[in-house]
Amino acid sequence: MATITVDGKEIYANDNALLIEELLANGINIPHFCYHPSLGKDGNCRMCMVEIEGKKRPQIACDTPVKDGMIIRTKGENIARVKRQILELELINHPVDCPICDQAGECSLQNYYMDVGLYDSRLDTAKNKKRKHVDLGANVMLDQDRCVLCTRCVRFTKNITKTHELGVVVRNDHSYISTFPGTKLSNPYAMNVIDLCPVGALTSKDFRFHQRVWFLKPEVAICDGCSRGCSLLVDHNKEKYKDDVVYRYRPKFNKNVNGYFICDYGRLSYKKENENRLLNAYIRGMESEFEYAILKIERLLKRYGPKTLFLVSPTLSLEEIYRVRTLAHKLDAAINGFDDNFDEDFKDDMLRQSDKTPNRKTLKFLAINDSKEDLLRDLKGKEFVLLIGRDDIQIIKEMGYDGSIGVMNYRDFKEKEKIDIVIPIVSHTSRQGTFINCDNYMQFSSCEIQKNIQALKVLEFVETILNDGRVTCEDVWEGGLEDEEFLGDIKFTQIKSNSMKIGR
Amino acid sequence: MGIKIVPRYGKSFKDKLYLPAIFAGMKTTMSHFAKNLSDTSNIKTECYPEMKPQDITQRYRGVHRLTHRDDGSVRCVACFMCATACPADCIFIEGKERRDGIDEKMPAVFKIDLLECVFCGGCVEACPCDAIRMDTGIFSFVAKRRKDFVLDKEQLLAHKSFEGEK
Ligand code: SF4
Ligand code: SF4
Ligand code: SF4
Ligand code: SF4
Ligand code: FES
Repeated sequence: MATITVDGKEIYANDNALLIEELLANGINIPHFCYHPSLGKDGNCRMCMVEIEGKKRPQIACDTPVKDGMIIRTKGENIARVKRQILELELINHPVDCPICDQAGECSLQNYYMDVGLYDSRLDTAKNKKRKHVDLGANVMLDQDRCVLCTRCVRFTKNITKTHELGVVVRNDHSYISTFPGTKLSNPYAMNVIDLCPVGALTSKDFRFHQRVWFLKPEVAICDGCSRGCSLLVDHNKEKYKDDVVYRYRPKFNKNVNGYFICDYGRLSYKKENENRLLNAYIRGMESEFEYAILKIERLLKRYGPKTLFLVSPTLSLEEIYRVRTLAHKLDAAINGFDDNFDEDFKDDMLRQSDKTPNRKTLKFLAINDSKEDLLRDLKGKEFVLLIGRDDIQIIKEMGYDGSIGVMNYRDFKEKEKIDIVIPIVSHTSRQGTFINCDNYMQFSSCEIQKNIQALKVLEFVETILNDGRVTCEDVWEGGLEDEEFLGDIKFTQIKSNSMKIGR
Repeated sequence: MGIKIVPRYGKSFKDKLYLPAIFAGMKTTMSHFAKNLSDTSNIKTECYPEMKPQDITQRYRGVHRLTHRDDGSVRCVACFMCATACPADCIFIEGKERRDGIDEKMPAVFKIDLLECVFCGGCVEACPCDAIRMDTGIFSFVAKRRKDFVLDKEQLLAHKSFEGEK
């Protein structure tokens, strides 16, 4: 441990760590373009200058190791002047087209310039023009004019994905980022360069021009694209006279699960939250009143009792599966979680997993059968199957089942007339819940977007039947889930704010 | 975040006293009062709405218009600055990719709800491109249905400035 003094305040830092790391970790604002915790230092942008006592000139914080007793100044006229000069150089060829730039509002260059900029240009020669809106492939758009040549994107394809698609070509102030001739950016993680790019040089073709970022409200969730369960920020907004719309997913840093990145498949999976939603309840294919359909399903459960099978999806949350299990036990009915949504081609050695459901581990921990054989056995003698969070009725049809079927899902599907009752439930980002990933890390998804569509929450549905007043995740944890052996001493208040590894 | 400080005018001692300006104003008022009192046939009252006023000043805030570039195309780049500044939240924009090579972005939809607008001029101030103005001289806007008060992009582009400029 080393003690360093920053702007007159003492802080404790790790010996020999990079100064910028320790300063950022202590919440001290150090402007930087090229340094990124996942990519390390590069020392090319000179934006991270600090004054160190005993050194003649300002030094870059990203390439200075911490030493005990260092005295550092990050503020003051001296250092502001240095930054202003660097920014002036940075802007010599920058188009400053913030009005049409999608990064405006979350752009490092814009923020730093507003902090210490010169504001009035001293330049009267024409700017170097390069190419704007170059389609790099993989949904990434490049604006060579706006690039500050920090090489974060280049280092990402070099060090992280090791696909080497991007490079800097041509010298001095004609340099620009490009793919190699005839090739495109193409790897399953390519869109992460959009988040890495500190300016608006790399923007998402998918998100471009759909919304200005300052309107977006970020919310914390987890990706349900595969069993890795990456931490996400869900950016959504409700425009006046319109329904709430999810505009994009971004990775949220989680050192236990996904680090700084997510895969492109997961990033684009936000679309299912907006599109193709089930908007009505149906009884044998006929639109039905929502409340009536709920009453009807309660009646069906009462009528069939032990002859019921709850077929839950591993996309449901821990709380939801737990509560459905409680309901099943109460009715003396069966519960099963078989789902064959695996894709071996999807798996890679970074994040993606072949199991494309986010919560299969929960089924194991709650001792719920999830194999095909179990399902065949559980189906025997059943007269009512209720699918929750899924609509793959062909699974049970193929097994020769021809009794009554109920479906509760968020997605619209065909051939509803073959099903006795269909009830829309809320989608992944519209309800809170806990998920256990492939490495047994448990995470809480707190995103709960209120959509203006009639849809039921599974927890509310179970509560209307059990009638015990437990409708929130907290109620469920306190009402018995916390006593489950596999959870050890983990309490709801802990899981709410941290991801935690559970036993076994 | 920093703030760019724009210099203010009217800092002299005389400006700060206010009184000279007030008396100058009162002088105009009193001279009109005396003139009108001595010659009632020339009073500048108009029989609105049969007669329309002809003396709209440059700074009058009428119904909005979207301006054009020199080549006649839409100037707006759908940056949402106006919609962000609008206190009534009555500007509805959807951006899209512009493919004619003139610029990168343009509005696909641009609507202003005149029933919600408070005619503050905030949008005009906020626009970095001089793409929206309130110099049409249209000061009364009549319609029978609510939705007719919502002007779309085509209507806004068709409005001319009261001096005839596009
Ligand atoms: S495109 Fe962005 S990330 Fe890549 S070098 Fe330029 S500024 Fe840096
Ligand atoms: S790796 Fe899996 S969990 Fe992570 S973003 Fe991709 S699909 Fe989602
Ligand atoms: S004049 Fe004011 S209220 Fe009306 S659209 Fe412009 S900013 Fe909004
Ligand atoms: S009118 Fe001006 S401020 Fe409004 S979106 Fe268009 S360019 Fe931006
Ligand atoms: S962040 Fe230190 S030189 Fe770029």
